[in-house]
Amino acid sequence: MKNSEEKVVAVIMVGGPTKGTRFRPLSFNTPKPLFPLAGQPMVHHPISACKSIPNLAQIFLIGFHEEREFALYVSSISSELKIPVRYLKEDKPHGSAGGLYYFKDLIMEDNPSHIFLLNCDVCCSFPLPEMLVAHRRYGGMGTLLVIKVSAEAASEFGELVADPITNELLHYTEKPETFVSDLINCGVYIFTPEIFNVIEDIHTHYEDRANLHTLSSSEALWSATKTPAKDFVRLDQDILSPLAGKKQLYTYETMDFWEQIKTPAMSLKCSALYLAQFRHKSPNLLACGDGTKNPTVVGDVYIHPSAKVHTTAKIGPNVSISANVRVAAGVRLMSCIILDDAEIQENAFVMYAIVGWKSSLGKWSRVQGEGDYKTKLGITILGEAVTVEDEVVVVNSIVLPNKILNISVQEEIIL
Amino acid sequence: IYICLQQGSVDNNHRRSFLLIKQRVKTPDAQSFGVANYPPPPLCHLHTTQKQTEIRVQFSLRNRVIARLQSFVLQQKLPNMKALILVGGFGTRLRPLTLSVPKPLVDFANKPMILHQIEALKAIGVTEVVLAINYQPEVMLNFLKDFEAKLGIKISCSQETEPLGTAGPLALARDKLIDDSGEPFFVLNSDVISEYPLKAMIAFHKSHGGEASIMVTKVDEPSKYGVVVMEESTGQVERFVEKPKVFVGNKINAGIYLLSPSVLDRIELKPTSIEKETFPKIASEKLLYAMVLPGFWMDIGQPKDYITGLRLYLDSLRKNAPSKLASGPHIVGNVLVDESAKIGEGCLIGPDVAIGPGCVVESGVRLSRCTVMRGVRIKKHACISSSIIGWHSTVGQWARVENMTILGEDVHVCDEVYSNGGVVLPHKEIKASILKPEIVM
Repeated sequence: MKNSEEKVVAVIMVGGPTKGTRFRPLSFNTPKPLFPLAGQPMVHHPISACKSIPNLAQIFLIGFHEEREFALYVSSISSELKIPVRYLKEDKPHGSAGGLYYFKDLIMEDNPSHIFLLNCDVCCSFPLPEMLVAHRRYGGMGTLLVIKVSAEAASEFGELVADPITNELLHYTEKPETFVSDLINCGVYIFTPEIFNVIEDIHTHYEDRANLHTLSSSEALWSATKTPAKDFVRLDQDILSPLAGKKQLYTYETMDFWEQIKTPAMSLKCSALYLAQFRHKSPNLLACGDGTKNPTVVGDVYIHPSAKVHTTAKIGPNVSISANVRVAAGVRLMSCIILDDAEIQENAFVMYAIVGWKSSLGKWSRVQGEGDYKTKLGITILGEAVTVEDEVVVVNSIVLPNKILNISVQEEIIL
Repeated sequence: IYICLQQGSVDNNHRRSFLLIKQRVKTPDAQSFGVANYPPPPLCHLHTTQKQTEIRVQFSLRNRVIARLQSFVLQQKLPNMKALILVGGFGTRLRPLTLSVPKPLVDFANKPMILHQIEALKAIGVTEVVLAINYQPEVMLNFLKDFEAKLGIKISCSQETEPLGTAGPLALARDKLIDDSGEPFFVLNSDVISEYPLKAMIAFHKSHGGEASIMVTKVDEPSKYGVVVMEESTGQVERFVEKPKVFVGNKINAGIYLLSPSVLDRIELKPTSIEKETFPKIASEKLLYAMVLPGFWMDIGQPKDYITGLRLYLDSLRKNAPSKLASGPHIVGNVLVDESAKIGEGCLIGPDVAIGPGCVVESGVRLSRCTVMRGVRIKKHACISSSIIGWHSTVGQWARVENMTILGEDVHVCDEVYSNGGVVLPHKEIKASILKPEIVM
């Protein structure tokens, strides 16, 4: 019998600066969770999805970025959603589950019956209300969101085996070398408060934890002696793996899209996925135009209201234009993200690229990438305040902030 | 010029009886001329109208000469000379080092780059230095407070809100550079290292009576730079030629200028190039003179030249102040080691190596032609050559790092890894070998 007073909280793990070097050079200017996808900060998408959770009491963002970086966003989103959103800074990394335990008292403030745990850098449709319903039906301690992927792709993630009838989590292993399953962990969970007891047990028995896995490089960086600290608890190795098969954890499969946003190239791909989602759920957010009073728009495009785009420009598909951008006449933009205050001059061409804040692209300049989201130089990334002079071509390159390109480059990293 | 001699513990017989003969010479700091070693006479003043560089002084007691000060070299004290150092922008060529600190604060030979220049200016009596910057003023200003106190020289910043080129910043700092004294002021380029013969430059400037003096340096490949064509005997500059296709001369602009205040009247507060606009105009009026820079010169704004520059600098240190270099059975050639650094057993260090404060070099390590910055740990049996290891990084056991590898701040090269020209951004761990030059973000 559902208690209508039951409260639910959501916790979003946002990570921190020393960890994510894969998001360079964009991470030099903004913490990854605030990088815009489809016109909204990355963390905004899971937060928006939380809106549809019934009885949502609070949303917590946990990470180790500086508080001031999130202060502005958190206060504006709190007032917009009318639900308290708080950023909690960890004094040091505690691991994916340790962070949850570290702030246990704050999270349990309203005595929630359920706690959603989401990773900020996951791009998916976040079917949170459906997960809650399923979780209640299963009656376990936790439910994981899972998705089927190709067998080759599976080895990059946590692979798991689920019972096809009861949906119980039978087996879980992180980044296995041999094939275990094509079902992977999406990084979206729902737990009952029992999870805190489980984490506490790990603390007391940490010496007994089998150190069979080699530590990931980021974890090894933190621990001076290369053994996990007492309060460093990883969700997958320390909780999911041991509890699999004990009728405590269940799975909920999503048939929608799912990606991890670890690199700038993936943020371009995920921006396109969210734009497509807008097409279904909130098409009023997308731009449209046919070249008469507005620029020609093809496919899914987001244009910030303050951006100025000339009517002879052709924009799309999969383009996101941020605030105060100026796009001049005859410009063609395809599959790109144009960040705040950028200027794109006449007849320029941009495809599969991210153009950094305050950058400037000259007349007839061409900035393009191949469109391979997985390789290091698969799209072109221009950092903050990069100038590309007239008629210069930039292909498959990464340019760090404050550079001026006056000759064409291909396949290069420019420091 | 007159000298003040300090009173110390004096034999009563001599105390009040000293008379001074003829010349009176004053310096601000008598000790620097070894006067403190002599029986200290009471305070007395010597005046002279001659600008002598060498002088002898006799002291008489009741007409008997009782002591002679040996000849010593006097500094002509300059009335409050000023200098501007063009620090400029983002230092992108020295990335990844400049991702952690602004370029003038990147250490060279165990000292922030800009400190080499500030010390040279202080040594010839400059009392105020203005830094023309357009990036990260807060970091610079904090750092400068420390130095102002330690060095006893006034340091201020002049911040560009838009890029003003190489001459514009002078106009911006005008009020700080000139006063009523009419003295010329120095302009230095922050990327340059040399022996800084600034005293000779002052003499040169005064002797030719023109409006501006520039240092030029001889290079092997002049067509890579802006060449200064000058009349050999007087140094009068005829013209500047940018990257000449045929040989017009082999002297290039070394980035060290001494300018009379009237030069500032020629520069407007807008983006202006001193080499392309200001100097050619002064040269056409036959008021620009060039002096050939004696000793070494290097623009250390990029890693390859930084490493070459260290070699030249340490060579010069060998000639001028060899006691500052390290010595010992484990040292080869010119090596600079900070006193707080520790070096283990069985190492071979050098040539052309600089090891910064707090570094730990474990046993069996080979270092050559490299810079190891503050707080770095090099583990046992590692071998590093022609590379720059950034602050607080570590290099693992048996690692081999060579061929222009540049490690940014807090980079950790794991044991047994090979890096051939890896350029690694800050806060990274290198677990796999880098077989050919590559940027690791």
